[in-house]
Amino acid sequence: MFKEILKDKFAGPALIILLVMYLCIACANFIAPYSKDFSDRAQAYAPPSPVYTVTAEGKLSLPYTYNYVRVFEPKLYQNVYKLDKSQKHYLRLFAKGEQYKILGVIPCSIHLFGTDKGGRFYLLGTDINGRDVFSRLLFGGRISLTIGFLALFILFPIGLLYGGISGYFGGWVDILMMRFAEAVMAIPSFYLLIILASILPSNMTSAQRFALIVVILALIGWAGFARVVRGMVLSIKNEEFVQAAETIGQSKLGIIIKHILPQTTSYVIIAMTLSVPSYILSESGLSFLGLGIQQPDASWGNMLKEAQEYINILYRPWLLTPGLLIFVAVLCFNLIGDTVRDILDPKGKLR
Amino acid sequence: MKIWKFIFKRILQTIPLLIIVSFISFFIIRLSPVDPLAELRLNPSISQETLQREKTRLGLDKPIIVQYGLWASSFVRGDLGVTSSGEKVSTKLAERIPNTLVLTLIVIFMTWIVGVPLGILGAVYNKTNLDRILTVLSSVGMAIPSFFFAILLLIFAVKTGWFPVGGLTSFDFNDLSFGGKILDLTKHLVLPVTVLFTISLAGLQRQMRANMLDVLDSDYIKFARAKGLSEGKIIFKHALRNAINPMITLLGFEFAGLLSGAALTEYVFQYPGLGRLILEAVMKSDINLVMASLMIGSIMLVAGNLLADILLILTDPRVRGE
Amino acid sequence: MKKILGLVLTLFVIIILLGVLIRKDDNNSGYTFDTADIKPNPDAVAINKPYPCPKTKTIDGVDYLQSQLPVGQFGGEYVTSTIGEGPKTFNPFTSTDATSSTMADVMYDGLFTSNPMTGEVIPKLAKGVKSNKNGTKYIITLRKGIKWSDGKPITADDVMFTWNDIIFAGLGNTSIRDELVIAGELPKIRKLDNYTVEFTIKRPFAPFLRALSAPIAPKHYFAKDRDWQKNFDRFLATNTNPKDIVTSGAFRLKEYIPAQRVVFEKNPNYYMINKNGDRLPYINKIIYLIVGDINNQILKFEAGEIDDISLRGGDVARYKAKEAHSDYVIYNLGADNGTMFVAINLNNRKNKDTGKYFVPQYKQRWFGDRNFRKAIDYALDRQGMVQNIANGMATPLFTAESPSGIFYNKKITGHKRDIKTALAYLHKSGFRLKNGKLYDKYGNRVEIDLSTNAGNTEREALGVMIKQDLADIGIKVNFKPIEFNSLVNKITNSYNWDMIILGLTGSPLEPHNGKNVWSSAGPLHLFNQRSAADIKAGHIYPLPWEKRIDTLFEKGALCTNFNERKKYYDEYQQIIYNEAPIVYLYSPIRIYAIRRKIKNIYPSTLSGLTYNIEELYIDKEFKK
Repeated sequence: MFKEILKDKFAGPALIILLVMYLCIACANFIAPYSKDFSDRAQAYAPPSPVYTVTAEGKLSLPYTYNYVRVFEPKLYQNVYKLDKSQKHYLRLFAKGEQYKILGVIPCSIHLFGTDKGGRFYLLGTDINGRDVFSRLLFGGRISLTIGFLALFILFPIGLLYGGISGYFGGWVDILMMRFAEAVMAIPSFYLLIILASILPSNMTSAQRFALIVVILALIGWAGFARVVRGMVLSIKNEEFVQAAETIGQSKLGIIIKHILPQTTSYVIIAMTLSVPSYILSESGLSFLGLGIQQPDASWGNMLKEAQEYINILYRPWLLTPGLLIFVAVLCFNLIGDTVRDILDPKGKLR
Repeated sequence: MKIWKFIFKRILQTIPLLIIVSFISFFIIRLSPVDPLAELRLNPSISQETLQREKTRLGLDKPIIVQYGLWASSFVRGDLGVTSSGEKVSTKLAERIPNTLVLTLIVIFMTWIVGVPLGILGAVYNKTNLDRILTVLSSVGMAIPSFFFAILLLIFAVKTGWFPVGGLTSFDFNDLSFGGKILDLTKHLVLPVTVLFTISLAGLQRQMRANMLDVLDSDYIKFARAKGLSEGKIIFKHALRNAINPMITLLGFEFAGLLSGAALTEYVFQYPGLGRLILEAVMKSDINLVMASLMIGSIMLVAGNLLADILLILTDPRVRGE
Repeated sequence: MKKILGLVLTLFVIIILLGVLIRKDDNNSGYTFDTADIKPNPDAVAINKPYPCPKTKTIDGVDYLQSQLPVGQFGGEYVTSTIGEGPKTFNPFTSTDATSSTMADVMYDGLFTSNPMTGEVIPKLAKGVKSNKNGTKYIITLRKGIKWSDGKPITADDVMFTWNDIIFAGLGNTSIRDELVIAGELPKIRKLDNYTVEFTIKRPFAPFLRALSAPIAPKHYFAKDRDWQKNFDRFLATNTNPKDIVTSGAFRLKEYIPAQRVVFEKNPNYYMINKNGDRLPYINKIIYLIVGDINNQILKFEAGEIDDISLRGGDVARYKAKEAHSDYVIYNLGADNGTMFVAINLNNRKNKDTGKYFVPQYKQRWFGDRNFRKAIDYALDRQGMVQNIANGMATPLFTAESPSGIFYNKKITGHKRDIKTALAYLHKSGFRLKNGKLYDKYGNRVEIDLSTNAGNTEREALGVMIKQDLADIGIKVNFKPIEFNSLVNKITNSYNWDMIILGLTGSPLEPHNGKNVWSSAGPLHLFNQRSAADIKAGHIYPLPWEKRIDTLFEKGALCTNFNERKKYYDEYQQIIYNEAPIVYLYSPIRIYAIRRKIKNIYPSTLSGLTYNIEELYIDKEFKK
């Protein structure tokens, strides 16, 4: 299947982009020049550092940058950033920086790139607390790009089992279970999402908060999925191999899990690729409202909060990059999802 | 006569659904650690009597199942309690619901007008470049975070001055002529409608394309082709009707999606709708308001599905036959 | 064909890459904003240009209030905005939130008001006031012949009704009443004739006259129903028919559209006239657009939908730079009445129900220790906060009164951030720093919870900074923003917090208004809050310096001489600086932008820009 996706005009590049993104967030510690909490308060809202390869005298040089100094401009009533031209800072590959731990164990302080000592290099500028936006994008991506998948891993087993049981048993069980699922579907999902998020107790650690948001996202989506699975199970359960299993006397749950559910694999794969994007969007919306991942943790949604401010959109476009990344990631997932569906279900039978 | 019986049965079916919905929403909120009267207690302008009235209305000292009964019976009677600032929840909701309905209905109308033809195009030119481009374009529309898109459009409005910055009516709305009022509303609605339209178009287009593909693949179309009917006639006379019918069921779901999607858009555009109300209520932990708007949202959604079903019963004889 | 396309594409990519990679250094500082472009606006009026107060002018037996400003043009609308959800009531006596109070101010005048330049009390609805020598009797004369918006005369009965039957009877919001309990008694009010009333108080009370700025209610409208008292909380609710509302102010309600706007129209019977003798106000309508947040407000100002805006620090630069070529003027009104601070919880009481301390005992020992609090005071980087969070548009603050106030103690100059001093304070109390971690003398690691209301970007950013600042003296801060109502609940009910970032708005004219915060029995004495039951039972047990502040407030209120009063209030500010139960951070600077077409503006650091709304007019010939 991978080969087929890669061959596709749109889905191929999309898959490559996504793989690069996931690789980057996996190695965020190494690629990011700073940690997610590193902040230099004298450098709030500093623009991206300029990189020069030709000196003022017109000579070619290794890439270098200057540090910013913040000056209060009384006529403007404003802080402005000027370049401190007295000292060039050369960019280095594999530069020494803050220490981090590879896989949480091996200490290491080599970063993919950085400057020499005393220099600051902000690829995408800084935010209100003087934190490097590029680094936070990487760490934020860890949350934004995985939260959808994690939710799916909770939601799919529930949905499969629920739909399987309901479809297989039929009768009153089916009616009751489906009425309940329909009721969950009847609550506007985003309303439910913000309500659930808002009743989270405020004294949670960020890891707990993350986990609960995953659970909440899963709670929203399982019902619709279960309904479709039930529909499929209804038709599968009359097939011969199921009846054969019944005659040997296998337990009902065993039949559902071993014989019926595997038949729905294609649908599950399609549904998964097509629903990851909506979870990424939900998380960003939630964090944008301040109900999801909270400061000082980064997620693309809560970083975009700063893009609400008019001044930031006009003068600090680097703060919009999380929006761009969400867009790209979701688009890639959509394109891949379409292709996966075409491959697994060329006639459009599963829906 | 049979139709009416069918519709009546369908309406009856929604009642248990609503009861379960109310159960779910009630328990989610009541089991949360938030004190439902905290906001009221902290508001010095709320009298002790009001507080006491709310306490007895909610039966906070009684077991939770009794509380549910009390809440449900007062809900049925139309008493939704007061907000944390002491206003009646029912009036607040009544102010907002029409606005949200206007917004969502316009968006549904627009997506149908555009989405159905695009879906047909995609199906007729299946697997061609046109089809691919349509699919990719709709993917692009789906991928934009609605709130981000809304913010960018607001900036656009400010920069060009072509559209007002959020809201629903201008301050001199009541002094305008009828035509002026329509124009004013239109101007305010263009941007939020654009956002919701962009994000919801894709789903409809895809669905229509898939339905059409199904129908085009069916035996009677093959037969029609064999008969030598022109392609245009086949598509518009025979295929279209059968492809659109299942779409009507989708109306209800679309409405659901829009209610949810509208919340963030309403928030950014400062649109006085239900979504923004519930968002504000959630931010302030205004329990009565949250509870009531959640219920009303669900009722609207169920009603939308019901309407779609009834429509389907009326238009598609096959459903009745089953 | 495909090959050529591929080649072109590759070339294109290479060119772009080169364009990005090759960048020539030059000698300028990388900063392009040309400040030479910023010229002073010719229309800008100097701040505190003396404002000629209106004077009483009697024409045909009617005591009008005559504007002394240049005569303007009638007509037009003034569009402004209010952030939040809009008014919750139109009843000036039950309103508790800022928006509702603003709306009430537009509709209802009080007997007195403040001179926007000097702050002294001047007559408004009242024509004049005479007091006896020791300041215990005030005889107030009313304007003859002036009318409510429905044409009924405004008389002494309305004043009697307002003060006796509403305020002193404790209806609605009782804050004015509570403030006027002087030596255990409420003032007495007596009607002398139709246009004269007399207030008697037990002892001279400095803030008394200013308290009479409270709005006056039309008796014939408020007491129309027999059981009006019972329904008072619901009276003038937001769903009242606008046509019914009777007002005394320059405007009356025209329409209220929830979540969108409040529209006021001119009160045809308003008692103010211009120099030509025409009835004010000039402006036909005031429109308050209800906007959800400050971002939307800025967009609306940018799009020309609203006529004025209070600018945040970060936004000032853009508007200042464009001012000379634009249709607005920017005014810098100096320090705000608002203050930003960190409160420390000194509560050392037990919860009577559970028998547990609200604050764990080991923490009580830290917070109750002046040295500890002073160490926090010295460790905080106010300058950095001003620079980062307020973009330089704020003044560092060290005590309770804001620098714009007339009672501000100028002798408290504060200090810079000083880790050494902070550590010295800690050392004095036996705290030790080990490997960058602070331990108290019993070996407990110093770890503090810090909170503020979630959703407020400014305070959330402050929290992050405070966390960093205190880490430098070894204190570990757990910073967690929580919902506003949970925060208020912690302050007023459960008392289980360590430090909280909050802001409060004081009065620049009357420090006595801070009594609810500073009196040890005050309802907002947040740093050492006694429960309502304890206050009722008299279980206050103030700390020595709390007791001193109580005394100072009492003395200050009972003394009418400004210089003598100032001595008391200076001392209270000094005590707060020394004891640091609340560590003040900064006071924002108010910058307003207002459209140039709006004339007769006399900016005031005390009252803002639009205090004389009835005298403002819109210049129709104005072109950009």
